[in-house]
Amino acid sequence: MNECKFFCDQLSDYIDGQIDEDECRYLEEHLKHCPPCSSLLASLKITVQLCERALPADIPDDVRVALKDFLRNHCKQCV
Amino acid sequence: MKTEADLDNEIVSKVLAGDYNAFEFLVEKYEGRIYRHLRKMVRDNQLAQDLLQETFLSAFKGLKGFSGASSFSTWLFRIATNTALMFLRKNRPESVEYSDEIRGQVDAPHMSVSPAFASTPLENLLTSETRKKIEQAIDELPLLYRSVIVLRDVEGFSLEEVSKIMDSSVAAIKSRLHRARNYVRESLASYYTGTERAEKRKGSRVRP
Repeated sequence: MNECKFFCDQLSDYIDGQIDEDECRYLEEHLKHCPPCSSLLASLKITVQLCERALPADIPDDVRVALKDFLRNHCKQCV
Repeated sequence: MKTEADLDNEIVSKVLAGDYNAFEFLVEKYEGRIYRHLRKMVRDNQLAQDLLQETFLSAFKGLKGFSGASSFSTWLFRIATNTALMFLRKNRPESVEYSDEIRGQVDAPHMSVSPAFASTPLENLLTSETRKKIEQAIDELPLLYRSVIVLRDVEGFSLEEVSKIMDSSVAAIKSRLHRARNYVRESLASYYTGTERAEKRKGSRVRP
């Protein structure tokens, strides 16, 4: 379990390609023989992919119009 | 081939030469993303709207100081982040000062990994309910954690760019990101485990 904790702490960095070659090899070796850690990695990867898609960058029309008006009024004063 | 950053730099030059339409182009390009980032930082739509206006006004006033050392988007998100942090430090200091703890996060690594969650195709997982769950889980995180996960995983900035935007070391960003991702993962895993159980219960009722 301690071994798993050690490897689990590396999973986020692993997804980002932030661990070095040796660490990567040890981790991948562990993942081959540890289904729970492997499943954890899969679910963490999916979480990251879901976060990428889950929150739209929508802006309500009234907020957009208010921003445009605000900037037109205030930016002219600074020029 | 020109990068996105090159294109932004060209537009910035036009703004500096006095072309206000070019500035409005930049505003339209980034307003949705900046608004999303600010909404997640302050968790208050009205306040996010005020900070959005302040961010772009500061950007317009400070554009001469934009050196191009980082990309325009990194520079702009840094202004937005600082604008929000300044407001929060002044008006809601508790949200900034005590924001380095994730309450109740479970350290035992293998808890509640739902097998279905880990093996279901992404498109099937991305329901409106899931979107709500993710948004809710991110909102539950302390300020510094939710800012980091939004900048890295939602906005797609590199770790180095997030470190510039947040004015923190890359090591600190990685550590917060690790915990934030695991918190959201735990929330989703618990949700899917609950859903699976409910589905099974529903299924068992219809059996003869």
